[in-house]
Amino acid sequence: MADPKGQKVPTIVRFYRFRNRLKEKTHGLGGGTGQVSAEALAEAEKALAQMAEDYPDWVSGLLVKLSEKHGRCVDTPEHRREFFEEINEIAHDMKGQGGTFGYPLITEFADSLHNFTTIKNDITDSMVELVKAHIDAMRAVIRGRVKGDGGEVGAQLKETLNQAIEKYKGKK
Amino acid sequence: MAEYDFERLSVLIVEDSLFIRSLLINSLRILGVGKVYAVDHGGQAIDFLKKVKNDPMSAGTQEVDIVMSNWQMSPVDGMMLLRWIRRHKESPDRFVPFILITAYSEPKRVTEARDLGATEVLAKPFTITAIGEKLVSIIEKQRQFVHTRDYFGPDRRRRIVPIEFEDRRKLNDKSPGVEIVRG
Repeated sequence: MADPKGQKVPTIVRFYRFRNRLKEKTHGLGGGTGQVSAEALAEAEKALAQMAEDYPDWVSGLLVKLSEKHGRCVDTPEHRREFFEEINEIAHDMKGQGGTFGYPLITEFADSLHNFTTIKNDITDSMVELVKAHIDAMRAVIRGRVKGDGGEVGAQLKETLNQAIEKYKGKK
Repeated sequence: MAEYDFERLSVLIVEDSLFIRSLLINSLRILGVGKVYAVDHGGQAIDFLKKVKNDPMSAGTQEVDIVMSNWQMSPVDGMMLLRWIRRHKESPDRFVPFILITAYSEPKRVTEARDLGATEVLAKPFTITAIGEKLVSIIEKQRQFVHTRDYFGPDRRRRIVPIEFEDRRKLNDKSPGVEIVRG
């Protein structure tokens, strides 16, 4: 690019304008605006609703796993670190989707569990107890099908968990 | 209106939650997407994309048309992946449409995603309709890519809004310093 005096001007901005290949791929060369098949959308919605229905069962399955890891932390303190790592992974998986299926409290509690199991120092008995408090709180959410913020029940569950956190905080 | 045929489309899903991942895979398949690939986190996505570039036979595809990625993942999150795709020399396609999926919907977060070159942001919890809308938007409203000193990505100006004050845009296609690449 040269300016009127014939000197080279450095590029300030470069625009890339490409042919719309995705449109060609999905819509042929026919032109016009396309649409997603309404039938397919409805079918996908149905599949999503089905998954949402399965969600509490899926969480229950993970809670069983968490309980088992917790039990092992109690029974074999020398292996706590590896069990905590597994608990940490499960918690991470759980926190990712509660909201999508109408259970933000699961996300919140799993997030808390995930945070405090991400640790580098020694794992105390109190921490193991606290894992249990989280499992209990999430179990209550699923058993009671406590959706959304859960209103009073939700507030109560949060309060109970917070009390447990306060109680065990700083304890050995 | 004609219906899209997604059969030739190849989509990469990057999501660490198993449940959401299978939900996305399932939804895209039902919508008719021909090739759906899924990985756990950004690091695996980078490995996959490198493979598409260097060894398409073993990757199973020659190209990825759309990347749908969660934001919050470890060790490599969605934003790090997006930065790699847009800027790294090993990236197979720096222009690939990128849908960032996130539970963060505060304007500050959305702006952050946009400024790093995300094509679309899909808020969690999402609906199938929302996924459909993002696909339509990517296909129908392909935007030019802009490369300046501090930005590379799809044009962040999506709408034509009348300007009430002085128009500070001094450059047009013919201005010195403006380069246009077509392809």
